[in-house]
Amino acid sequence: MTPTTTDVDELVSLERGEVDRRIYSDPAIFEREMEQIFGRAWLFLCHESQIPAPGDFFAAVMGRDNVLVVRQKDGGLKAMLNTCAHRGNAVCRADEGNAKSFLCTYHGWSYGIDGRLLGVPGHKDFYAGEVEKNRLGLTPVAQLASYKGFVFATHDPKAPPLEDYLGATGRLGIDLIAARGDMVVVPGIQKFVVDCNWKIAVDNLFDWYHPQVSHASAFRSGALGPPPERAGGYEQIDMAGVNMDSGAGIDLPVGLITASKFDQVVVIGEYGHGIGGPTASSSGNVEVDSSWRAAAHARETLGPVGVEVAGHPSIFPTTWVTVVPVQLSLRIPLDPTHTEIWWFTFVDRRLPPEAQRLMVMMANRVFGPAGVLEQDDGENWSQATAQSRGLASRRVKHLVNMGLGRGRVVKEHGLARIEGLTSEHGQRWTYHAWAQWMKGTSWEALRAATTPGDLL
Amino acid sequence: MGIDQPSQARIAAAVRQYEVERFYYDEAALLDAHRYEEWLALFTDDARYFMPVRRTRMQRELDKEFTQPGEVAFFDDDKMLLAGRVAKLQTGRSWAEDPPSRTRHLVTNVRIVADDGKELRVESNFHVYRTRLRSEEDSWIGSRHDVLRRIDGSFRIADRKIFLEQTVLLSRNLSNFF
Repeated sequence: MTPTTTDVDELVSLERGEVDRRIYSDPAIFEREMEQIFGRAWLFLCHESQIPAPGDFFAAVMGRDNVLVVRQKDGGLKAMLNTCAHRGNAVCRADEGNAKSFLCTYHGWSYGIDGRLLGVPGHKDFYAGEVEKNRLGLTPVAQLASYKGFVFATHDPKAPPLEDYLGATGRLGIDLIAARGDMVVVPGIQKFVVDCNWKIAVDNLFDWYHPQVSHASAFRSGALGPPPERAGGYEQIDMAGVNMDSGAGIDLPVGLITASKFDQVVVIGEYGHGIGGPTASSSGNVEVDSSWRAAAHARETLGPVGVEVAGHPSIFPTTWVTVVPVQLSLRIPLDPTHTEIWWFTFVDRRLPPEAQRLMVMMANRVFGPAGVLEQDDGENWSQATAQSRGLASRRVKHLVNMGLGRGRVVKEHGLARIEGLTSEHGQRWTYHAWAQWMKGTSWEALRAATTPGDLL
Repeated sequence: MGIDQPSQARIAAAVRQYEVERFYYDEAALLDAHRYEEWLALFTDDARYFMPVRRTRMQRELDKEFTQPGEVAFFDDDKMLLAGRVAKLQTGRSWAEDPPSRTRHLVTNVRIVADDGKELRVESNFHVYRTRLRSEEDSWIGSRHDVLRRIDGSFRIADRKIFLEQTVLLSRNLSNFF
């Protein structure tokens, strides 16, 4: 289907907390996403610490466009499409590195690290010297900007400035990394492919309902920390009397089950950004060391609401920040049913080497394809995607109605927040925003339609 | 050493090669039979198990192709974490492996590159083939660089570095061992 505005409203119902499953597999919907969302939104490319020296580059992805982010001689940044102005070949085929220039290996057109066309073989003899070199450089992205070292770009020249796009919610999401200290990306971006729709991977990041079941094995086994026998023992998940085939319930280390019931805060913002998860002072906060939040700089930057946020920020559409471990993840759509997941891992350069090493170890252990948490996520997402393809199965609605109509929005300190127990407010907000983006309205109309109301 | 002159040294080298290969075949059989605790026992208590992130680099920067220990990795485990992974698989709640994947570990091109009498450095190639549920298929080819320690007339793995022939991992997880 090629969705019209009316169709989009039928795909997502904020009132019922229901989503039409066709949005997870329909190719026409995917094509419209590429245009209306990935053709317009500010998308995360990389962190400045990855490319410190002139000529350092990182190959990023915007929708289906391959983009090179390059540090310039004057210390600035440029981002341009990785495609030769002549016949389209990629001018750089490495994931990252340092370059003095970019050479197209098809006919030898060469470009400076600023994207200017420098050399055209046979320029005098074959082209009679008539190639307009000034006009034919690598195509820059429409807008490029960095917020506290986090580099974003958009294909839309009319998109609002990055800081306005992020708004208070998106900026808080990044500040939850940036305000910790002198943050740098550790070498090694984990990249892997999951056979799921990108939105299923995105809506999971607000989901504090799934860990107790999806990740039961990691919590039970001690793969994440000390085995429960040496901590507080076990308690049973409330499975409403229905247990597994073996007759056993699902018992988990004490604290984890109750954690999901304890204080949670969901922050929602313009353009669909959101944050969901436990508060820093609740027992659901799994931060090993929260002392960084007490520093004057952090308190000032995060503000009284932000300093209490220990959940997962989402910067619409595909950027996920996690504060434990300190990482940033992208869910890059490849096609309707395949998503590439990237993980960037951060450390505070001011910490002693041993403390930095622990931050990296934690990241290696928890997330990524071998992470003891994440290895169990992919199959759920893959199977949920697969079931959105069946003629009858896709008529069953995807439910995001937990806490529906009970989320009272408190607007303070520039943020809109909902306090309470585990909920699907964050997911509902994301899908609502998705539908507004898909309508293809003006930026003003989009902002108005994604401005939080009083109830969710 | 001439090939036409059998000597004690050559026979000893052949026996050593046989023993190392035999060790690897037994190890592979344990993994494919999901006998993870016995597999874990093949590692020394001070063992490291490491699979770096690999990046496409230009030839002039090929020394930066793999991440190093201490940087980001797919696996960077000590024995305790490895034991945690094994325990996880045995909880009966490790959903990515229940129903269990079907795997077959093929180990080949086994080369003993150093031997100081106590420890051997062994490089080998592997093909780990996995199918899952109805039609899911993963195939990982790569090399392992091991340090095998001689203990009680056999070997224990004191260090394993696993290098996959992929940069973007083309599978949804790494819920199996290599």
